[in-house]
Amino acid sequence: MKNPILEVKHLRKSYGKLIALNDFSLQVNKGDVFGILGPNGSGKTTTLGILLDIIKPDSGEYSWFSTAAFSNQRTRIGALLEQPLFYPYLSAVKNLEIVADIKRVSYDQIDAQLDKVGLLDRKHSKFKTYSLGMKQKLAIAASLIGDPEVLILDEPTNGLDPRSIAEIRDMIIEIANQGMTVLLASHLLDEVQKTCSHVAILNKGKLLHSGRVDEVLNSSAMLELRADDMTALKQQLEQFDFVDEVLAEGTMWMAKLKEEKDPATVSKLLAQQGIYLTHMAVRKKSLEKYFLELLSDNNA
Amino acid sequence: MLRLIKIDFKKYAYSRTFWVLLLIYFVLIVAVFFGMEKFINQVLNSAKTSAQIPVPDFSLYSFPYVWQNLAFLGGFFKIFIALIVVIFVTNEYSYKTIRQNVMNGMSREQFLASKVLFALLLSLSASIIMFVSGIVLGLGHTAELSISLVFPKMEFIAAYFLELATFSLLAMFTAFLLVRSGLAIGLLAIYYYIGENILTFMLPENISRFLPVESMGNLIDVPNSALMKMFGVNFSEVVSIPDVFICGFWSIFFIGMTYLLLRNRDF
Repeated sequence: MKNPILEVKHLRKSYGKLIALNDFSLQVNKGDVFGILGPNGSGKTTTLGILLDIIKPDSGEYSWFSTAAFSNQRTRIGALLEQPLFYPYLSAVKNLEIVADIKRVSYDQIDAQLDKVGLLDRKHSKFKTYSLGMKQKLAIAASLIGDPEVLILDEPTNGLDPRSIAEIRDMIIEIANQGMTVLLASHLLDEVQKTCSHVAILNKGKLLHSGRVDEVLNSSAMLELRADDMTALKQQLEQFDFVDEVLAEGTMWMAKLKEEKDPATVSKLLAQQGIYLTHMAVRKKSLEKYFLELLSDNNA
Repeated sequence: MLRLIKIDFKKYAYSRTFWVLLLIYFVLIVAVFFGMEKFINQVLNSAKTSAQIPVPDFSLYSFPYVWQNLAFLGGFFKIFIALIVVIFVTNEYSYKTIRQNVMNGMSREQFLASKVLFALLLSLSASIIMFVSGIVLGLGHTAELSISLVFPKMEFIAAYFLELATFSLLAMFTAFLLVRSGLAIGLLAIYYYIGENILTFMLPENISRFLPVESMGNLIDVPNSALMKMFGVNFSEVVSIPDVFICGFWSIFFIGMTYLLLRNRDF
């Protein structure tokens, strides 16, 4: 059953002449790990900012947890937007105490959250003495205070070293596995592909596509095929109505499919026509390819 | 409300800047309160030697006059309280913590309320410093001490609080408006020392008396002294009630304007 956590309808935001977000609609259901993917400046942070009430949209509306009154709901949402924001002269613990006070939760879990991100032994150090990676981890710890139902992360691995990136991604996957709904903005396709169940692709403030990550990948799946009689194979493939196009690639045919098709079915259909495959492989298009295609379509 | 105060206090309690500024203010204001009588009398003593007429000794601290005298003196140092307000409001912008606070679930109204409370509590602290100084000085300097002398004119402490509160709310508004501390402090100082004087000069008096700094200053008139009476000058010995309302209006106005500013602002 669909259980909408967030519904966004026709959001629009402009900064002077620049339209940062145009007619943006979206629905996020409970348990989704939703990636918002787009190049820098495409409107990702603006979108999340609006959803967190720090940016006022020109028009459109959104609702969290199917309620209009938002400010009481915000403590159910943990968020990290762009960069970690803390009082530099306060220690990690004091900073998190302020977060806990704002969210009206006890200080009990502060140590546990700091431990989770590996900062427990530096908990009394001032925030300004932290490295960039530590700051980012503290921000993640802060966003987890109060056991939110939804986690909003904007470029959570920005500027981190590869090890920290891997750690933070693992953390996101772990969090998602516990059933938390995650909204993740990123310009890194790889990141979205590795962590998200759903994706919305954004460019120049416009929503180009949204859906399940595996649907996006499968919707344009391709088959690599080879048989002894390559000419007959091509002719036959072109007669199938689920095949969009047959292209040559090296010694193989590459069949672009209109819809997903089970390889076993394809091979059976071909065998019925007396064509026996010597090779078949499903090649999923990477999100990156799809993304670049979408962007070029959009720019054309 | 207590929660907001608690959150805000945590932001200052571990800030060295905050305590240093507060300590400087405390030392300065106590030094002024406790040293002023001696200073004035020294000036008078040197005047006495050349004066034709006898100049009476000057007592700043006897009950109940001490309240008006200290309230009047303290008013000159309100820019200090305003400075602290400006620094800690603009800090929230330079650290972008206002953004994080709102994201974490503090509404814009609550954020504003926390800063209004901060400004009021600072003004209250300064008023308490003045109250304690007044008690100490009064007890030591009143010739025929009786309890009935202590309490009259204590309303000047309330007027002093109102003066500080109005000014720190103006400072808060300026800080939220301009966001940068240097700019806000600069503009506030220019308005306080020069800008409003020019306005007062240009506008007719029945209008200029409604200006914020002017009305703050009019709350507590120059204290009368025997010396001034000799010259036939007579200042008001009570808190100016119309100016209480004018200052009250400005305080609410500054809070309201800040609210309008915050309501639609992107962080």
